Amino acid sequence: MSTSAIVIAIISFALGALLALLTIPVLVWLERRVAGLVQDRLGPNRTNIGGFRLGGVVQSFADVVKLLLKEEYYPSHIKSGKWLFMLAPIITFAAALLAFMAIPFADSMIIDGESLRISALPIDFGVFWYMAISAIGVLGVIFGGWLSHNKYSLLGAARASSMVVSYELPLGLSILAFIITYDTVDFNAMVAWQSGTFFGFLPSWGILVQPLAAIILIVSLFAETNRNPFTVAEGESEIVAGFMTEYTAMKFAMYFMGEYVAMNTASAVIITMIFGGYQIPWVSTEMLLENFSTFAVSLMVVVPIIVTILIRWMRKNNTVRPTVSTDGGRDFETKVLTIVMIGMTLLVEAILIYLAFLTDSALANNIAITLFQIVVFVVKLMMFNIFFILIRWTVPRFRYDQVQKLGWYYLLPLALLNIFITAIVVVGVNL
Amino acid sequence: MLEISIFSILAMFMLGGSIAMISNKQTLFSAFGFLVAMIGLAGMFALLDSRFLALAQIMVSVGAVVVLSMLTILTINAKEENMPHEPNKFKWIIVSSILVTPFTLLLYKTLSSVHQNFSEMETVSSKVVGKLLFSEWVLPFEIVSILLLTAMVGAIVIARKSDKTSKEQS
Repeated sequence: MSTSAIVIAIISFALGALLALLTIPVLVWLERRVAGLVQDRLGPNRTNIGGFRLGGVVQSFADVVKLLLKEEYYPSHIKSGKWLFMLAPIITFAAALLAFMAIPFADSMIIDGESLRISALPIDFGVFWYMAISAIGVLGVIFGGWLSHNKYSLLGAARASSMVVSYELPLGLSILAFIITYDTVDFNAMVAWQSGTFFGFLPSWGILVQPLAAIILIVSLFAETNRNPFTVAEGESEIVAGFMTEYTAMKFAMYFMGEYVAMNTASAVIITMIFGGYQIPWVSTEMLLENFSTFAVSLMVVVPIIVTILIRWMRKNNTVRPTVSTDGGRDFETKVLTIVMIGMTLLVEAILIYLAFLTDSALANNIAITLFQIVVFVVKLMMFNIFFILIRWTVPRFRYDQVQKLGWYYLLPLALLNIFITAIVVVGVNL
Repeated sequence: MLEISIFSILAMFMLGGSIAMISNKQTLFSAFGFLVAMIGLAGMFALLDSRFLALAQIMVSVGAVVVLSMLTILTINAKEENMPHEPNKFKWIIVSSILVTPFTLLLYKTLSSVHQNFSEMETVSSKVVGKLLFSEWVLPFEIVSILLLTAMVGAIVIARKSDKTSKEQS
């Protein structure tokens, strides 16, 4: 292994861990703000550190401090297996975290003829990894629900496990349809397959090539991650908090964070498999590398426009109502953030000018495109996370029998039918 | 050296998990032991550089078998009092493991020379496994699936109430 391979491996692992862990506070914040948006209110936006609110993200860090300082309480009726009671949330959290690690954040970098993967774990069967590791997560739920010695917890665990078992089938079958279409089990090769076009003008994203399988995949991933409308395992109105009823403080937070990490992982899998991953539509990595100066110039035009819109939006919204006396802290924050944004834009522009006109080092171009693809990946990831959150706050929870009926009566036969059609088309095309 | 130490840790996990599975009175702890043993087995496959088999092991044994058995545990609600009373359980485990030692040595002697009869393979990718399964090994593969189908039909027949008993109940 060369030095560059080791450096890339370390950086991609750090990036994977950061993307999985740092998105938790951001997602908790997004959940509350989007809920506010849907319900026509503001959501948390007051917490600040030295006047910096950042739209309320600071609230999530305050929550973490609260959860860390809370009393660790053990229900006294849990006689045996306290260690497993504590281990259960960790199993769920670790499984969700590990499942994220096979997602590619950018196309493989080619340095000195060596192809280096930009994903936390450089494995070439990411789909298997995701299916295998994410299946472990439900075990933590079952252990926790059983060891709580509580009827509500037991019901929640039974519901969670039976739901996961029933939705694993349509999920696996829809993924199978994608594997047949893309002819690979490698996430990175799947993204590469999707970079072409389809009927001449449509980007050949999975959702356009395999619409039925894509819908089944999205629905079953919603169920697998225990998100609304499939939150029967923790339905407050029926079974208190389900498997989490007896959990407090950090143990509860582990389940809570595990849910968000699982949601993040599910979004990453969805965008990698059916929304073209880290690529922008119509443009493949080779095209970017060949026409690097065009790409750099167009980026130089687009970045200032986006930043200007962002600054104008911030200046308009980061104020208090006119009837209330002005808040100096917010003005100060707006001023500082504007300067930071303009400074970063200037830096990016300078780097792009240097790359486009003053040097023609292939390595530098390669790194720039990798960074760009990582940014595209994160933007897509956040958009899909917002979609998950929007669904949670707009669609009511299904009844338990409706959940099972949807899985077994509709999704499973549809997925089977889809595999037949896919197989016929693939064989017909290859004849 | 590293390989041997990883192997011993995995073997300890597998042995401990298996013993915990058969000796524990609470069914869920048995399931946890089973889980640990299965993950240890997957680790063994990974140690042999057969990463596809390792993941398939986790997917099938952990994702399907353990989860389904735990689901069964949740639904049948087996209580500790209903379990058979087994005094001197650990004594029996020790005695029986001493009794099977000669057989284990025999197995070790036979199996440690088996690998010379097989051709060396680099890493096994999923494509190679799939192609082999559906070309050279298609008959055993299909026979195994018929076996599984028979087992499933048998389970359904046993679980189904016969017409007689259902009439008697109603």
